[in-house]
Amino acid sequence: MWNREKSIILSKLCVLLFMGLLAAVVVTAPWLTQWFVEFSQAGLAEKASYFMATIYVGSLPAAYLLYSLLKLLRQIEIGQVFTPKNVELLRRISWSCFVGAGMALISLLYYFPWFFLAVAAAFMGLIVRVVKNVVAQAVALKDEADYIV
Amino acid sequence: MPIVVNLDVMMAKRKISSGELAEKIGISPANLSILKTGKAKAIRFSTMEAICKALDCQPGDILEYQANQD
Repeated sequence: MWNREKSIILSKLCVLLFMGLLAAVVVTAPWLTQWFVEFSQAGLAEKASYFMATIYVGSLPAAYLLYSLLKLLRQIEIGQVFTPKNVELLRRISWSCFVGAGMALISLLYYFPWFFLAVAAAFMGLIVRVVKNVVAQAVALKDEADYIV
Repeated sequence: MPIVVNLDVMMAKRKISSGELAEKIGISPANLSILKTGKAKAIRFSTMEAICKALDCQPGDILEYQANQD
């Protein structure tokens, strides 16, 4: 039977999967980049180092985002849902998205398709920010409800 | 807050302990402590009714408005 605990476990597994994927991308970045510039046939050979720089620098906010996401899921798992700590974690996740979007925006100077990633990351950051605002309001309501006797 | 809770005064007058009152009115000792220390942001009519019944008093004996408090 599907329940809340199994749903959280599935979410944690997905986050761990993405962590593994990120680690694999970072480790294999030189080969991935080489393969991509050869595959694209768009004369990107001299830009391979830029791609690697984007991957390495971009992996930092991505790793921080995934770590924050895992911490958030742990909090939810122990029943701590509407807490200031979770609001802070959501804020970090949102800013990680915006930082990633900023990096992708800078990267479009040498490769335009990064623009689409920038827009997607910024949009994701915006959604998480709205969720953060909702949770912050819920924390305030819960705080008040806790003091109604 | 300019509303002062005089629950401890009434409890002393009626010679009733916190644990005993909490049990009589059906709230946890932690919640009664929140009420006694003035940390509560609101009180339900049902809780007030139970307190008044247990302490044989009026709501005005428990709550007091003091304009000079902030």
